[in-house]
Amino acid sequence: MSNLSGFRFSKLVGRNLANRPYRNIATIFAFALIAGTLFSSQFLSNGAEQSLDAGMDRLGADIMVVPDKYLFAGQTVLLTGEPTTFFFEDAGFEEISRIPGVAKASPQMYIATLFASCCAAPVQMIAIDPETDFTISAWLVDNPGVKMGEDDIIIGSNIIQDPGKELMFYGHIFHVVGTLDQTGTGMDNSVFTRFEDAYVMAGESGAKAVKKLNIPREMASAVLVKVEPGMSPEAVADEIERQVPGTRTILPNGLMSAVNGQLAAVTLLLEGSAVAVTVVSIPLLGLVSALVANEQKKDISILRALGATKGFVTWLILAESFALAIIGSIIGIGVATWFLVIYQDFITFSLKIPFIIPSNLTILAEGGGALLLSVAIAGTASIYPVFRITRSEPYEGIGRGVS
Amino acid sequence: MIEAIGVTKTYRTGSSEVRAVDNAHLHVHSGEFILILGRSGSGKSTLLGMLAGLIRPSAGTVRFKGMDIGILSDDRISEIRAREIGFIFQFSGLLPTITVLENVLVPSLFYRSGDNCRSRALDLLDTVGLSERTAAYPRTLSSGEMKRAAIARALINTPSVLIADEPTGDLDIDTEFEIMELFSRLNREGMTVVMVTHNPDLVPYATRTLGMDRGMLSERFLSLHPGNGSSTGTGNPP
Repeated sequence: MSNLSGFRFSKLVGRNLANRPYRNIATIFAFALIAGTLFSSQFLSNGAEQSLDAGMDRLGADIMVVPDKYLFAGQTVLLTGEPTTFFFEDAGFEEISRIPGVAKASPQMYIATLFASCCAAPVQMIAIDPETDFTISAWLVDNPGVKMGEDDIIIGSNIIQDPGKELMFYGHIFHVVGTLDQTGTGMDNSVFTRFEDAYVMAGESGAKAVKKLNIPREMASAVLVKVEPGMSPEAVADEIERQVPGTRTILPNGLMSAVNGQLAAVTLLLEGSAVAVTVVSIPLLGLVSALVANEQKKDISILRALGATKGFVTWLILAESFALAIIGSIIGIGVATWFLVIYQDFITFSLKIPFIIPSNLTILAEGGGALLLSVAIAGTASIYPVFRITRSEPYEGIGRGVS
Repeated sequence: MIEAIGVTKTYRTGSSEVRAVDNAHLHVHSGEFILILGRSGSGKSTLLGMLAGLIRPSAGTVRFKGMDIGILSDDRISEIRAREIGFIFQFSGLLPTITVLENVLVPSLFYRSGDNCRSRALDLLDTVGLSERTAAYPRTLSSGEMKRAAIARALINTPSVLIADEPTGDLDIDTEFEIMELFSRLNREGMTVVMVTHNPDLVPYATRTLGMDRGMLSERFLSLHPGNGSSTGTGNPP
């Protein structure tokens, strides 16, 4: 299709496109809308899923066991980190570690803080048991320079304070020793401390804080469970709920379902818009393509008279459509990416979902998918004009020429 | 070179049928300069379209160098058009979105007769007197310049036959003379030329002149020369 010393096919396509800028802008806009909405929908779903994966990886748990009245509160701790305080009503949770299939079980205590200097709003404090913990201890293994001693805290990525500095909760001063990587989940808005320090903080709160904190000893808010290799987390979770009355279990799949439920309205809107735009666009783009092809009929007949094959003409029409689809899609995907990245926090806040910018590979795959779909739509819209032109005789576009 | 055997072309318009070309027989020999003379609407352009493989006859056969182009594939006919036939339209036929030089180079997209098409295109534009207008767009050219650019384009792949549909129709007498002199020179150099016109003044350039009237092709032609009245005659080589 190209000729190094002659005239290039791409130049012919480019010049033809440049000759009708206004109509092309409308077509490019339609493709931008299709690709942008499709891409956004995928971006949100994958961002939430990857965020949840990162959050569960951070916890290092296969199952989270919470009091049956606090299933939603437990999910909220993981998903958005909205501060909450709750406890098991009795100490029956200790039985969890004895259930077959449970490899490790570690209690955690969730405490909603008061306003603190670090943050615009109260944060979620999570107290861990250093003896059994596998959430923070796993992170400490990866960060050997960090030790978690008395009054030390490790903070989520959204808590604004540098390691080595102090933070005060309920009038008690804690030393920040580390900052966790961003996960997009509630972990980013949490502060991790030890049970013992939490008890001391609660004990001092009556004298030092504006509000006294009461936390019962030997009680936990949740138990994180790691199952033995080869065991099904779902089966172990069922067994826990059966053997330990008053408990409910949270699994990553269940969390994803909850997130999907929250995302459903948005993705439905985006995907519905994309489908609607696509359905409307195909005949419209087909019409535009047919109009353009009709306008170009004379030029195409000239090309045919000069030796162009039907294949060349087909490729010329398709190349013009594909070029518009690619330009429109790149613009749509670019604008959508910019919007979703810039308004990441707003999306997380307003949709109440965990959200993280997906990996570059995922973004490329999502963008590539949206681009391919646009190109397929462009191809579909061009079928009729291509059919019409290749069926007609080369001289028809010039006129029957009965002179 | 080209042989039309009993070719007919009919068009259907509503319930009526128009017979644009009716059972035409023509044998174009290599090196000939054939002029087909006829009034507007006599079927000359349709006949040329069939000779160039641009229009499929309703009946009859067109052979190019012995090949029945009616049974050839589209790719093969396109290849013949690209490398063997230089076609000049009644109108300029230049693509409006590209420059004069690029227009001349367009046929090199389909067939390349040599390594340096650009250099040949520039030479051809120089030959037709458009060396100063290579970067101009067709809309900025005069009718004569457009026609000359179209001639340069038709010659880019060094075709064996030049088929021209009223190439001097809307040109002034000086430009018409220049173009006919160029055709005559190309013919003397060995190129076969088939040209239709309604201008009997051009008859002296041809080695053979045919007449066409209401779709019928004949060796006798109807003189349309103004002032002479209508008369019949036969082609007289110059």
